[in-house]
Amino acid sequence: MPDQPLQPFALPQGISIHLSAGSTIGWALLLVFLIWAVYTLVASYHWIRYSHAPAVALPAIIAHLAVSAALMSFALSGALLP
Amino acid sequence: MIFSPAFELESGEVVIHEARKHWLLFVFELLPYAILAIIPFALPGFLRLVGPLSPYADLINYGEPLPRAVLGIWLLVVWTSAWGALTRYYLNLWILTDRRIVEITQYHYFDREVSSVLLNRVQDVTTEVKGALFSLLDIGNIHVQSAGAVDEFHMNGIGSPEALRDIILKKASENSKTTGV
Repeated sequence: MPDQPLQPFALPQGISIHLSAGSTIGWALLLVFLIWAVYTLVASYHWIRYSHAPAVALPAIIAHLAVSAALMSFALSGALLP
Repeated sequence: MIFSPAFELESGEVVIHEARKHWLLFVFELLPYAILAIIPFALPGFLRLVGPLSPYADLINYGEPLPRAVLGIWLLVVWTSAWGALTRYYLNLWILTDRRIVEITQYHYFDREVSSVLLNRVQDVTTEVKGALFSLLDIGNIHVQSAGAVDEFHMNGIGSPEALRDIILKKASENSKTTGV
């Protein structure tokens, strides 16, 4: 039985991890935007390749890009933490 | 050609009708996304209603940078998912030409099935309209029985299924007379 009180875990000297809310959110945003970009590419490919209706496909893709850009701007305006 | 057709029409073949799932059913499909989009805005009010959780309601202030970023990500994911639902809705369709019925089913991305049946091989066309709302709005299912390897074509939730059945039967009859089958 140890007779000393438990000490909280501490990293060895010389190793430190700096995580700030700003950088964490920044990385999260980057990850979400990358997934969004891949998904958008795949869906747009299907619209263009299979919809056989440019009059519908192009507005659908443009609307998606416009709304997504607005939402990304909104998210980024909150990510700029000090 | 960037916008290639979903399938190749034969020489002289004419598209008579294109049918998709009724738009109202697509609106119903969008409801979960609408609820998911509303949740972040309703959450503070909900937390205030639950006594022990009410202090957390003050933490959710979308004027602050962090909640704003989280809200932006949430809405982007919900929006993109809803747009994906629109994509799948639009890419699933039936095309009736003067010679055949083409069924295009987009199960998932990169998972697509295009099958067709010649109208002169159509043996039976069945429609069903179930429920008061669907009866009022004339939304139903249509099943086409063929003599080919693909036994039956299904299209669920389309508008005016009986009118489409009549068109198919009329065109099938015309094709049978033309081909002598």
